[in-house]
Amino acid sequence: MSDDTADRPLLVILRHAPHDGSWLREGLDVALVAAAFGRTVTLLFMGDGVEALRPGQTAGPLGQKGTHPTLDMLAMYDIEDLRVDAISLAERGLSTAELQWSATPVTAEQLPAVIASAAPVFNF
Amino acid sequence: MLLHLLNRSPAGSRLPEDVLRAMGPDDRLLLIESGVYGAVSPQADCFKTLKGRCYALQDDLSARGLAERHADWIIPVDMAGFVALTAETQRTVSWY
Amino acid sequence: MASEQGKLRYALVVLGAPYSQAATHSALRFGEALITQGHRLDTVFFYHDGVYNTSRLAAPPQDEPHLVDAWVRLANEQGTELLVCVAAALRRGLLDEREAQRYGKPAFSVEPPFVLAGIGQLVEAGITHDRMVTFAP
Repeated sequence: MSDDTADRPLLVILRHAPHDGSWLREGLDVALVAAAFGRTVTLLFMGDGVEALRPGQTAGPLGQKGTHPTLDMLAMYDIEDLRVDAISLAERGLSTAELQWSATPVTAEQLPAVIASAAPVFNF
Repeated sequence: MLLHLLNRSPAGSRLPEDVLRAMGPDDRLLLIESGVYGAVSPQADCFKTLKGRCYALQDDLSARGLAERHADWIIPVDMAGFVALTAETQRTVSWY
Repeated sequence: MASEQGKLRYALVVLGAPYSQAATHSALRFGEALITQGHRLDTVFFYHDGVYNTSRLAAPPQDEPHLVDAWVRLANEQGTELLVCVAAALRRGLLDEREAQRYGKPAFSVEPPFVLAGIGQLVEAGITHDRMVTFAP
């Protein structure tokens, strides 16, 4: 095992938007399974991934499920540490106040430590 | 200390900015696949703050006709060097 | 911990489809290089479009590298575990014999040494190996 992996939160970085292929769903699946296995999980929304937190999402026109129902289930899996890259939010004209799921903003200064303190790190 | 892998050309994407923001002061960056286009000036300028810890995969440079074209401060590494970078750092994070 | 000083156990995660993206080539080259340096490639986990790496029906032209066979060779020579995410695979038509029977399909597309596995094994790979390196499209 790499250094003290057991004591660190598992980090899933989500950088793809809802309905943009299966990246977001497959990333969230890793988080849910890790949590079900008893790992402490941190989710970090970054880049287009911050769009996952926007209110008002629906299923796709062909019946694609979307990821908003999964985000509603996070608390049930004890995934409570949601972080969002503040610059990615600002670049998209979003503020934490309007997000449908509450997430702690991470400043550019804080971002490297969020990533460096976690293990393992999955980037979707 | 982490190793970050970047496989996208800087042109047409905000990804390099996100990677740079995510990197700690000692973290290293390795450009692979189409990421090596970022090793050539003027596109390499966006990584200039990483001087001394910015690498590019030699095979991927060569395959793209960039073997002699990369900025002189970017460090070319072969596959063995890539493995060594992953061994010397605690973890590897891939950006794509 | 590593079994010998400086020798590390690696897991690779492959997220890109073969012949579409460079991820497979990079992962295979990296795997070969780490073995040459005396490290161990214990596990490869195929997820997202990476599951297409595991189709036994792949028939590339003869003048191109046979990427599926390259994985099989790795498993045979190094004992590398080749794990295929079952959820990602079934959606994309990658089924082993048992799943094909279960879903009433006329053929199967995944066979050993590729083994269908749960996402839990990806999480476990990230925890139990010394290093995990992801190759993405």
